[in-house]
Amino acid sequence: MIYRESGQFKKSYAADQAILPLRQDQVFLIGALLVAFLVIPMVASNYVMNALLLPFLIYALAAIGLNLLVGYCGQISLGTGGFMAVGAFAAWNLATRTELPMPVVFLLAGLITAGTGVLFGLPALRIKGFYLAVTTLAAQFFLIWLLQRPWFNNYSPTGVISAPEVNMFGWVVDSVTDRYYLALIILVVMALLAKNIVRSSTGRKWMAIRDMDVAAEIIGIRPMATKLKAFAVSSFFVGIAGVLWGFLYLGQLEAEAFNIYVSFDVLFMIIIGGLGSILGSILGAAFVVLVPIFLNVVPSAIGLPLSTAMISYVEIFIFGSLIIFFLIVEPHGMARLWSIIKQKLRLWPFPY
Amino acid sequence: MAANAADVTSRAGSSEVLLKVEDVELRFGGVRALRGVSFEIRRGEIFSIIGPNGAGKSSMLNCINGFYHPTSGTITYKGQPRKAMRPYVTASQGVARTFQNIALFKGMSTLDNIMTGRHLKTKATLLENAFWFGRAKREEMEHRKFCEEIIDFLNLQHVRKTPVGTLPYGLQKRVELGRALAAEPELLLLDEPMAGMNLEEKQDMARFVLDVNDEFGMTICLIEHDMGVVMDLSDRIVVLDHGEMIGQGTPAEVSNDPKVIEAYLGVQEEGEA
Repeated sequence: MIYRESGQFKKSYAADQAILPLRQDQVFLIGALLVAFLVIPMVASNYVMNALLLPFLIYALAAIGLNLLVGYCGQISLGTGGFMAVGAFAAWNLATRTELPMPVVFLLAGLITAGTGVLFGLPALRIKGFYLAVTTLAAQFFLIWLLQRPWFNNYSPTGVISAPEVNMFGWVVDSVTDRYYLALIILVVMALLAKNIVRSSTGRKWMAIRDMDVAAEIIGIRPMATKLKAFAVSSFFVGIAGVLWGFLYLGQLEAEAFNIYVSFDVLFMIIIGGLGSILGSILGAAFVVLVPIFLNVVPSAIGLPLSTAMISYVEIFIFGSLIIFFLIVEPHGMARLWSIIKQKLRLWPFPY
Repeated sequence: MAANAADVTSRAGSSEVLLKVEDVELRFGGVRALRGVSFEIRRGEIFSIIGPNGAGKSSMLNCINGFYHPTSGTITYKGQPRKAMRPYVTASQGVARTFQNIALFKGMSTLDNIMTGRHLKTKATLLENAFWFGRAKREEMEHRKFCEEIIDFLNLQHVRKTPVGTLPYGLQKRVELGRALAAEPELLLLDEPMAGMNLEEKQDMARFVLDVNDEFGMTICLIEHDMGVVMDLSDRIVVLDHGEMIGQGTPAEVSNDPKVIEAYLGVQEEGEA
């Protein structure tokens, strides 16, 4: 009843292939954007923005990037943290060693990460599945080791370097609200780009390789070029997420901040959120960021305070069991649950 | 749907040789899957490869579209001899195929599968796709229109947006044919398009094959076990047995060839009617 498509006729292919063909979805998206851009900055405290919303936005961007590779092209990567580090360090070095304007620094850092991604994606031309996962795992450790070399932090004695001022076309991004807005804008724009890519011929090529690479080759898709393109685009997204993570969230950089656990977190997000779904990446990021907070707040509120150590264990339990649950019951994750809800809402409250 | 070979008039085929297989041998270690096979496929005809299980029919198709490379012998396509070639190169030269065991992109919808088959005709770059401007948007609409024509032709309208993994077998076969047609190939290789179908589905599929050949002038090379279908559809037939070619000719010639009857159609036992 609520989510009805009847009466909404498509008179052109363009209308039928729009990102959100249904009016209800359009209204929902506009509502969500209004909340994100207007309501949240007014009501959210600095703490919530800094500790909750910023990591959520940046993780969501990284998750979209990884989802392009894993969910759409079917190539597994455990090196997300390493690629985020490449983006962050590339941006830091470009910003401190050159006079380039900040937007260009962001773009170049993304491109450098894309290049690195292609390099470490080369084994994908030969190997699949587990073996590819292992080589990207090697990439993770190698990249972190490499970025700990003194040249990359300009021989800083502590190994920790602070992020430069972020100046976007004259807008100095400094306060928490500013940083929230910048991360939000970049996420919205890049999510739109990702959506466009996956609904176009490039995305179909990736999915073809994912679903049946032999048949994909038969219809003229070049497996090498297609896989490497997926690695490049995915790494670009992840690299930009790395820049944001270092410059906006942490405020200071050290390679260890991008360790293997970051890679796992992002992988959890796309499994829980939904492989092969842009919306799923965002939902998954929200979930993974929210669960620890939830565990902090709720047990003490109901009179069962957990120790910090306990919370981190419970967190691991919850993620672990959820991943198993989703892999068995709903491989398409929360995004699929969302579409089931929409299906139900077509009829609700009537039985049929 | 624009016919890409409008110069071809009748389904009897012209005399122009589209694909020539000469003395092809294919060996896997000690197994000789194909031994000295030679035949020609002429533009515009329906050509069938038949033979018992393990005769090397699918191996022959795999050689033609570049999956396998003949150990010796030559394959000449459109007058160009070729040896080792990747399947995607063959595809770009206008060869499309379907598989015996359906090889669709299961996670994608019918429409997306057929649109993917159109891939060789798209030119939009990644950036155009990402920003959805220029060729990206225009091509998407043009190809959508073309693919809708294929969907109409194959009667797939009702499953346009259904993920193909959930479709029944017969429909999946049809979607696979649609995906091959989307590339507007010159040579269409069909590996057992009617395997596992009931009579009605077979009739439908046979009609599609004839229409494709008739209306769009596509040359078709077909592997099929159902003799009735093969004899009715084909212009010419080649018969393989244990990797060797044992007969070639029109359906009438082949079905009267004693060697073929012995190897494939079956010898009449004494005492049987």
